[in-house]
Amino acid sequence: MTDALPLEGVRIADFTWVGAGPFLTKPLADHGADVIKVESRTRTDPIRSMAPFRDGEPGPDRSGYFANRNTSKRSVCIDLKHPEGREIALELIARSDVVADNFTPGTMHRLGLGYDTVKKIRPDIIYIEMPMQGNAGPHRDFGGYGLAIAAAGGLLGLSGYPDRPPVGTGTNYPDHVPNPLHAAIAVLAALRNRRRTGRGEYIELAQLESTVNVVGPALLAASAGHRVERAGNDDPVAAPHGVYPCRDEDSWCAIGVFDDRQWQALTRVLGAPAWTARPDFTDAAARHRARRELDKVLSAETSAWDATKLADALADAGVPASPVRNTDDLLHRDPQLRAREHWVQLDHPVMGPSVYDGIPYRLSRTPGRLRAPAPLLGADSRSVCLDLLGIDEKTYARLAREGVVG
Amino acid sequence: MNVPEIPTNPGPLDGVRVIDLTTWLGAYTGRLLADLGAEVIRVEPDGGVPERRRPPFTADGMSLSFVFTEVGKTSVSESEVDLEELLGTGQILLTSKGPAALRAKGLHPDDVTRRHPSLVHVSISPYGLTGPHADRPASDLTLLAAGGLLSLAGDPDREPVRPWGSQSAVVGGVHAAAATLIALLALETSGCGQTVDVSVQEAVAHSLENAVQYLDLEGLVRKRAGAGPMEAGTGLFRCADGWVYLVGGLGGRPLAWSAIVNWLEEGGIGEAAKLREDRWRQAEWRRSAEARADFRAMFERFALNRTKEDLYERGQRCGISIAPVSTPDDLLNSPQLNAQSYFRRITVGTVELMLPGPPYRFSHANVGPGAGLPERATSSVLRHERITA
Repeated sequence: MTDALPLEGVRIADFTWVGAGPFLTKPLADHGADVIKVESRTRTDPIRSMAPFRDGEPGPDRSGYFANRNTSKRSVCIDLKHPEGREIALELIARSDVVADNFTPGTMHRLGLGYDTVKKIRPDIIYIEMPMQGNAGPHRDFGGYGLAIAAAGGLLGLSGYPDRPPVGTGTNYPDHVPNPLHAAIAVLAALRNRRRTGRGEYIELAQLESTVNVVGPALLAASAGHRVERAGNDDPVAAPHGVYPCRDEDSWCAIGVFDDRQWQALTRVLGAPAWTARPDFTDAAARHRARRELDKVLSAETSAWDATKLADALADAGVPASPVRNTDDLLHRDPQLRAREHWVQLDHPVMGPSVYDGIPYRLSRTPGRLRAPAPLLGADSRSVCLDLLGIDEKTYARLAREGVVG
Repeated sequence: MNVPEIPTNPGPLDGVRVIDLTTWLGAYTGRLLADLGAEVIRVEPDGGVPERRRPPFTADGMSLSFVFTEVGKTSVSESEVDLEELLGTGQILLTSKGPAALRAKGLHPDDVTRRHPSLVHVSISPYGLTGPHADRPASDLTLLAAGGLLSLAGDPDREPVRPWGSQSAVVGGVHAAAATLIALLALETSGCGQTVDVSVQEAVAHSLENAVQYLDLEGLVRKRAGAGPMEAGTGLFRCADGWVYLVGGLGGRPLAWSAIVNWLEEGGIGEAAKLREDRWRQAEWRRSAEARADFRAMFERFALNRTKEDLYERGQRCGISIAPVSTPDDLLNSPQLNAQSYFRRITVGTVELMLPGPPYRFSHANVGPGAGLPERATSSVLRHERITA
């Protein structure tokens, strides 16, 4: 293991904001890329004003939602609508390998920072945009808040109880999983290609198209003539398969029994209650047919158990099982996450010591690390302008006074 | 109409060979790498991996979830190849079992990277390679529980409920693919391979939005709360052919409110005039059960005879944040996706299927199933000559 980070030497001019974009550049920053977050002082990143805040008190440098997505990055404030601000942004881009934004289509072009302009000064730039619908097509300009992408992309409608309206994941899943990470994959692949061929790349990640892939098998099934609907916690093969109530209030254990061996193990752990010998539970196919009844009798059994003890006993016996962990469990009681040192505490200049999500993978030889907490708004304006862009003190002072930078 | 064309340069991972020994948990990673132009060779036991037998199936008996993860890969059976020799020719090995199961086959990363120092072994596993739970059996549902996502999903009066499909494999798969490419860049710089230890539990725990920070900063444990915030004008509304998702307010403040009111009035809901009263701009009223029920009754009366697509097109053109709750069939017929030539037509056995396109478009490189070569678009994994379903 060495201290060298694998993406050292890669610089990203990061124009992304809010949800999906910053989670694209975060893993790159955590692995050594110099990610320079271009922000506006007058139109601050909306996520800087989104809860939770340190001690519940709002402020642009107090949001945990923002902080968690922006580790290891630098922040510069530039007024992109000012001609000199635009020039500074182009200077930054000229010294960068990657440009990333998640604005609505045409925004970067209107700011004079579109791909056609940029590739004239950096022909080998890797330029990624993340429009919601795409840069073309009849719905190009359609927007939306909240769960709009999960709804339009098919995930929301398929997720939930069959007998109720859709419920989804309880999160803006596309912002946290497919869209930022598909985008990170695309940028990394393009970096690899550029090293070999010298060619830059323009990448369009339409958030709708990216999100549809998370339910890709459902679209294939529909195109084969199957009717695909919400299935709750059902599995097409396994039974019992579900989330079963346990002894304490709102405590649950997820259990999946995929074959006879696991069924016998479950039976053993429960102390072989009489119902496990019922003829309608005799083999996997029968159990799947009788799964609603099976859920009922199993729930009566699990209700007497502590969720963690039940999951431990089942897992030790070879049955897939886990308590439903809430954030309190994850942070304070999960022996596995503790052993893996998943959560990371970073000392933020305004928020103090705060918890950040760890990187969910470890590279044995060139591991990443959360190098620094999220930057304060504009914390690095001066050093980026002076040290990286070579602007002299006097000019910087004037630009700062005029509100162009700083 | 502007129909994007697929460029002809080889994919960005041209020249990379990936040996794919994964289960359902890791299969999406190889698919992503294949789309980007890597040669992904799946090595299967004689008779095929169990994932081939997971319903639903095509008329030919091919598993559709398997088709989705295997498009663009090639397949060989264990007995036909010398795995060690094959590993010597590749840059990346993908596995997705726990450490004990890998050790039993001589495939623990410690052993593999010793035998093949210039190989990147990407080990995607339920709980990671170390720790007290490393060898626990796991399924999609139990990993979503262990990583905390289930605690946020569902109605408060019902059991937690999982999202459709095997999302733990998607979450683990996308993180693993990003990690693979970071390790590939390191490999191509230094010539040194390494182990990439991906924990799916941790990947799920990385997907909880702001929930962990809520606890840390404000002492609040977020719980499942249905389909979103409780505010008049925001949420799911029934229409003629299903549901639409409308955001008429956020954080207690109205959003495009007059556009919504005008739209309702023009649609013959005279009663909507009262939505202009001052209290509809106040958070407390907007969040009250009475206001929510009132708005819902009006909007659903309006939407009763209108389709999702109609509400989407008209609402969006008035600047309203509205989206259809799309079904898979809606998506196959989506005017936007079809105008963008999103779907790829593939033939599996004798069956023609519509495959969602890759998550991204590259202007200068060919990206997508089989990297655009029609003869590779389906892949030998999905043909029947060697292994039948």
